[in-house]
Amino acid sequence: MSLSSIYQIIVFAGQSFWRNFWLSIVTITIIVLALLSINCLIILNVITDTAVNIVKEKVDVSVYFRPAATENQVLEVQTYLSSLTKVKEISYISQQQALQNFRQKHQSDPVIIQSLEELDKNPLGATLIVKAKNIEDYPEILQVLNNSKYNELISDKNFDDNKIYIGKIKKVSDNINWIGLLASSIFIFIAVLIVFNTIRVAIYTHQKEIAIMKLVGAANWFIRSPFLVESIFYGTIAWLIAVGLIYPLLNLLQPFLTNFFLTDSFNIISYFKDNFWSLFGLELLLVVFLNIVSSSVAIRRYLKV
Amino acid sequence: MIIFKNITKFYPPDTFALKNASLHIKPKEFVSIVGRSGTGKTTMVKIMTAEESPTEGRVIIGGWDITEIRMSEVPVLRRQIGVVFQDFKLLGKKTVFENIAFALQTCGTSRQRIIDIVPQVLKIVGLSGKENRYPVQLSGGEQQRVAIARSLVHRPKILIADEPTGNLDSINSKEIIDLLVKINEFGTTVLLVTHNREIVNALNKRVITLDNGKIISDQKRGRYLL
Repeated sequence: MSLSSIYQIIVFAGQSFWRNFWLSIVTITIIVLALLSINCLIILNVITDTAVNIVKEKVDVSVYFRPAATENQVLEVQTYLSSLTKVKEISYISQQQALQNFRQKHQSDPVIIQSLEELDKNPLGATLIVKAKNIEDYPEILQVLNNSKYNELISDKNFDDNKIYIGKIKKVSDNINWIGLLASSIFIFIAVLIVFNTIRVAIYTHQKEIAIMKLVGAANWFIRSPFLVESIFYGTIAWLIAVGLIYPLLNLLQPFLTNFFLTDSFNIISYFKDNFWSLFGLELLLVVFLNIVSSSVAIRRYLKV
Repeated sequence: MIIFKNITKFYPPDTFALKNASLHIKPKEFVSIVGRSGTGKTTMVKIMTAEESPTEGRVIIGGWDITEIRMSEVPVLRRQIGVVFQDFKLLGKKTVFENIAFALQTCGTSRQRIIDIVPQVLKIVGLSGKENRYPVQLSGGEQQRVAIARSLVHRPKILIADEPTGNLDSINSKEIIDLLVKINEFGTTVLLVTHNREIVNALNKRVITLDNGKIISDQKRGRYLL
């Protein structure tokens, strides 16, 4: 294939694009909608994953020791727990710190503060706050503690089980994902049909040129190629428009996400920038691949060389 | 140059376009193929350009047996055979130059070669200076000249003219026939498919007469028989 041939194929594809201008616009619009719906699905997944991770980060087990337990004993338990592979980190709150925290928490309640004053000694024990590597590991860590010799030093274990919330978030996100997946599939299906139809119309509007091409001995691949290239044009232009629309959309979304998660650490724009090629690159490949398949079927069916 | 060996073309359910037709056309010959409408002349052209394949028999073009030609080889064959039709088959939105250049562009010819070749063929057909006109701005005869110029860009060994004067008046018809004779004199084998009695008789060249799909006459210096 010579450079002249490649140039001519691109020129013919461009001419076909302009000749059926409005049809080209409709085709591109549908592909843009399909790409936007896919990206909305991705955004939704990123948001729910972030929400689940934030909730997971907040899950821990508080192990309250009896006031009689000495600091050494508590530190021994801390060492013991640290040796467990499923434990991620342990924070130690001393008896004094626990009392201080308690006072601070109830400073507006004079009855509690007065009751504390009347006591001779600190009624609170030390606390260990244990974070597991996985949320599924907490029951096992608790089980280990229950069966250990240290159990008698412990007055209470408070496992704030956020699993229910995580489950709820996951369930809602799964449902939204299904709807999004369905919407994306419908858009992709429509886009494939529209590309098929556009190429079919392009073949009909070029019937005279095709007949002359055959007459003067143009190679079969040369007659077919402009239509394939035209479909690649549609995919690429639609992809560029979709990428151009996504970033302003993310800019609008970011303040809401910052408010929702109460953190600046999560930035959806950065996420899309960091994963540009793995997200948009794949989308470009997908849309070009689908367009080539769709136009190939139309060419095979309607373009007799 | 062109050999038909016992060619039969059958269209189901019961039409024989050609029946056991055999002919041998030598290089540089000028041959008129005549006959009434629907007698198999155009089928003969279609078989020569591999648009149709024969039901029986063998076709050899320039020593190449094209009876069972592969799809990928058809364009190579068509570049060796120029074809013009009654309806010119020009693109209305392209100028004369662009119409002729189109034939070269579709075969991957470089722009420089196109710029070299197009004026040459326009000179042969007598249309120099009309490169920038659109088909609608030309007479029928001129449009047919553009079609002939387009068919010459690949320097074909054979030129098939299928009813080239069908849409033209007698003066334009004569000019086109004169042009075909001139092209023949340059060394191109010319096949003129026509049912125009006056033209055939005036040519005084070889005439093959078809009737009902059969070759009923093949005269060296023939006349229109039917």
